[in-house]
Amino acid sequence: MKKGILILVLGLVAAAAAYGCVYYACMSSTRSLQQSDKPELAWLKEEFNLSDADFKRVSELHAAYLPQCREMCQRIDTQNVQLQKLLAEATNVTPEIDGALAESGRLRTECQRMMLRHFFQVSQTMPPVQGRRYLSWVKEKAFLPNYDMPKD
Amino acid sequence: MKTNEPGNHDEALRKLLQEWRTDATLPPSFQEGVWRRIERAQASASPSVWTIISHWIATVLPRPALAASYVAVLLAVGVSAGWAQARQETARVKGELGERYVRMLDPYQAPRQ
Repeated sequence: MKKGILILVLGLVAAAAAYGCVYYACMSSTRSLQQSDKPELAWLKEEFNLSDADFKRVSELHAAYLPQCREMCQRIDTQNVQLQKLLAEATNVTPEIDGALAESGRLRTECQRMMLRHFFQVSQTMPPVQGRRYLSWVKEKAFLPNYDMPKD
Repeated sequence: MKTNEPGNHDEALRKLLQEWRTDATLPPSFQEGVWRRIERAQASASPSVWTIISHWIATVLPRPALAASYVAVLLAVGVSAGWAQARQETARVKGELGERYVRMLDPYQAPRQ
């Protein structure tokens, strides 16, 4: 009986050890992505097989883009606050609301143009095949028909 | 030879039983006691699942070929489960990082501080 129980336990321990070792080994690259300084950029490097030189250029473009993005965020927030104020007291579409809506639309267009310009620049920095793949992926993500809709 | 025939045998028995008289009374819960004994006998006749398993562990599992196969199968199960789980988790993390990359660049999705 003792020998049988020993074999039984040995099998279970072997299964648990095999699970742990394989899981740990297979997750090592993902773990290093998550633990990097900029996980999103590290993911981009791995996903699109960028060389160190390509990745350096992409990182520079990314760093140059972020301040523009932050400024755009502020303008969008300010515009939203203004629109909400107008809507809170309105019972009809006033010329002020009309103007605020037009400004919101203009901001959205400007924002999309800015993003698209950045996506093109990044794609041109990558090797051609990867650049096309990146562009196709990012356009789908950022310009879907339900663009900007909250996700469940 | 005729007494061995079922009809004659039953007839004799029936007569005997009709003549049989007893004044003895049955002890209390006699019938329940009988059924309990029958149930106990039946239970001890069919081995429990635990008995079967422990018997299998004690006698069948220690056979070298079976023991090696058992350990090998569990190893394979562990490797497959670890690989599948890691693959699923990697896909989830990478998908999430991709989403975060786009959110970071899109002022309409970017997290506000």
